[in-house]
Amino acid sequence: MAIIEMFFWWYASGWAVFAQKTKSFLSNIIDFFSMNSLIRTLFKPFRQISAETANENASLDLKFHMFIDRLISRFIGFATRLVLLVAGLFLILVGGTISLVLIIIWPLVPLMPIIGLVLTIMGVTL
Amino acid sequence: MSHSFEFDSKNPRVHKAYQKRIFNSPAVLLFNFIILVVLLAGGGVLFYFKSCFCWLLFGCSAFPIVFMFWVKNSLSEIPIKNSQKFTDLISEDLLLLLNEKMTPTDLVRILPKTRSGLFLMVRFELPKSFFEQIGGLLPAATEPIYDSACKIRQETQSEEITGAILAVAIIENLPNYEQILSQLKLSIHDLYQGITWYNYLNGLVKGGRKTLHTGGIARDFAFGYTPTLEHFALNLSVRYMGTNERIQQAENKEIIEKIIHTFSHTGRQNVALVGAYGSGRSTLVSSFAETLMNADSKIPNSLKYRQIYALDAPSLISAAKNSGEIEYLMIKILNEIYSARNIILCLDNAHLFFEEGPGSVDIANLLVPVLEAGKIRIIMIMDDQKFLEISAKNPNLTNLLNKIVVTPTDQNETIKILMDQVPYFEHQKNVIYTFKSLLEAYRLSKQYIHDIEMPGKAKLLLESSASFAENGLVTETSVQNTIERTYGVKIKVAEDNEDRETLLNLENLIHARMVDQVEAVSAVSNALRRAAAGVKNQSRPIGTFLFLGPTGVGKTELAKTLSEVYFNGENNIIRIDMNEFVEASDVSRLIKDGAKDSLSLTAQVIKQPFAVVLLDEIEKAHPSVLTTLLQVLDEGVLRDERNREVSFRDTIIIATSNAGANEIRKHIAEGKKIDDFKEVLIEKMINDGEFKPEFLNRFDEICLFKPLSKEDLMQVLDLMIASTNKTLSSQKISVKLSDEAKQILIEKGYDPKMGARPMRRIVQKTVENFVATAILSGIAKPGSTLTISATEINIS
Repeated sequence: MAIIEMFFWWYASGWAVFAQKTKSFLSNIIDFFSMNSLIRTLFKPFRQISAETANENASLDLKFHMFIDRLISRFIGFATRLVLLVAGLFLILVGGTISLVLIIIWPLVPLMPIIGLVLTIMGVTL
Repeated sequence: MSHSFEFDSKNPRVHKAYQKRIFNSPAVLLFNFIILVVLLAGGGVLFYFKSCFCWLLFGCSAFPIVFMFWVKNSLSEIPIKNSQKFTDLISEDLLLLLNEKMTPTDLVRILPKTRSGLFLMVRFELPKSFFEQIGGLLPAATEPIYDSACKIRQETQSEEITGAILAVAIIENLPNYEQILSQLKLSIHDLYQGITWYNYLNGLVKGGRKTLHTGGIARDFAFGYTPTLEHFALNLSVRYMGTNERIQQAENKEIIEKIIHTFSHTGRQNVALVGAYGSGRSTLVSSFAETLMNADSKIPNSLKYRQIYALDAPSLISAAKNSGEIEYLMIKILNEIYSARNIILCLDNAHLFFEEGPGSVDIANLLVPVLEAGKIRIIMIMDDQKFLEISAKNPNLTNLLNKIVVTPTDQNETIKILMDQVPYFEHQKNVIYTFKSLLEAYRLSKQYIHDIEMPGKAKLLLESSASFAENGLVTETSVQNTIERTYGVKIKVAEDNEDRETLLNLENLIHARMVDQVEAVSAVSNALRRAAAGVKNQSRPIGTFLFLGPTGVGKTELAKTLSEVYFNGENNIIRIDMNEFVEASDVSRLIKDGAKDSLSLTAQVIKQPFAVVLLDEIEKAHPSVLTTLLQVLDEGVLRDERNREVSFRDTIIIATSNAGANEIRKHIAEGKKIDDFKEVLIEKMINDGEFKPEFLNRFDEICLFKPLSKEDLMQVLDLMIASTNKTLSSQKISVKLSDEAKQILIEKGYDPKMGARPMRRIVQKTVENFVATAILSGIAKPGSTLTISATEINIS
């Protein structure tokens, strides 16, 4: 009786529960890697280093130096964020793909013993 | 939807609950795990040896995986169903405990087996025996109880019917349940609050399982470094991140929304949280900090992950050598805040930053231009008075702030906040708080704790009460003990035999120290008995008495005796000589702040709330002083110059006066009794303008003291000799007077105008001098008794 209920659940709400868990897992990755912040602030200076802007009366030389400082800071920020973005995206991609595969093969999982039996009877070896 | 108030054992939820009990047990899960490991390991070995049977084992390993997933997801929770059927609405533990054949008595028996039922029994001190005793009073069938349970669930907005709800439903089905509960000092409303309390704690446990989103590892990449700020300030955001329970029940959500609104709109983005100490201002800031750090909270993006730093004035001052250095540090900190772009600065006790003095620094000149330019966001915490002072000194500064008033909480809100706080105290102190301890903490802190407002003072008392827990349980008595030990107040209704004996024999105990004045002694004794039995008006002093009579007849002595007998010693007397309050301006001295004058009436009562307050020679006080005292006599409270309410509700107020002394002497000399002329005398005093009628009417009793007769004086003499003997007892010497000697002393010491006072002097000059000489000359040795004869008295 319990086995029937278990399989019934597997093909009904179990599938949805797994999809929900996958979504939650991906959302945790997005939060862990601060993906939203990274994308929103991709070109911002890193930790606001040299983020001040020169006032209007500053000399051209100073303005130029500050511009260069800011540019470097933005570049460091961009590079750091990009590394994290790539790492996060990679994990999302891997996790997402595995989850997708699992969602697709979900109906087959309870049939695995039968598949195994068939393969055994067929005498498949690698 | 059809209603069904029966338990249905065929309901799928019941079936699922049993499945959960079996399959979700550690033994079954471990067995399942072992099977999985064996199948995978076996499959691996066979695969290595190229056996085709490996596929069978690998395939079969899917079964334990499916099982595990099913148990952990399908059976982990058994949600209630959206129906009106009783079985669809009950909690998991009840599903396993109920059956169709159950009687109400059986229901009573299963209550302690449910977590919530046990919670209610412990928190409300409802012992198992209580439920056993009420078993016989219950209805024959369970349906009415189930019906009540469904209604209580709706009324308390509970998700499911728990053991606690069932327990309350059982109690509600008792005839005269209100009377039964009142015997336990409880009401049905209290039990409903208990259900809400359990639901709240249960919600905390469930909420704790959720994954918290706090922005991730790159959250602060776009914000600047703040090394100087980090050194001199506490990061509240990091400290309170993830403690989402702090704001779940606090009734201050509205204020947090106001703060969010202020910070997310254009214009002045600065807040002044103005309220009394203890009213929850700092908790609000902590809750706000926590809200900003929670990625799932519904706040504008511009506020998300903004961090609140509380600047520490003392560490800033101690780090700088002079005011110039402080300014330098402050400029550095403000620059960092501006550059970082994610900081909200919090100035707790903000007045410390706007005044010069030890432990404070004035940064108004630095801050105002920064705030005017809208460069940084700031929260200031201060009380009303300090806000007014800062306003007067720096109107520009306060104009830049959005004032949000934080008011002290009322009883309902305070109890909710205490429920909120109790899990932390219980965790820290390893105790369990009962519901009545929460109510008592509110009641007693309101009455006895000053300088701090609700809910702070109730929290403070509740936390301190953990030291008085008995068997790990903090009860109403623990809270009372805390107040009694800390404030020296007697608040418990007389319980032990010794206390009762004292109260019942109060007149005798008083007469052991003073002579006659039966009327006055009886009046004060009755007042004390009323207070000790808990029948006195709680919003008035224990008793208020006006003692009228000639000098030296025992008015002050009665006050002292009372203090000795009932108020834990003669020192518990607050004596105010009213002849020092003869000007209208003296009112301010009466209510002066304790920090400035420790001898003001209010300061002394704050320090000693359980005492006799003796207002000596009241007739000499200025009418304005008497008017000030009207409120004390009437309501038992007086506001001091800081507008703090000082409670006189645990004092006996005795005012003494010599007014009418001549009339009393005259009437007594004519052979009249006190009752014969009391009314006439009081009327005369009013007509003569000695006292105003509204003042006299405020006293519970006006007691007339009659002059002492020679017979009375003989008793007074005996008391004085007894007192001398008490003093000499350490030297093991005693003294006694012959009858003739006593007669001589009475003749010499009797003065109807002065009462017993001359007698005191005579005894000093004769008896005490004689004894002193005898001791010094070696006549009186330890163990000896000196007998003083008439001759020796005459010589002395």
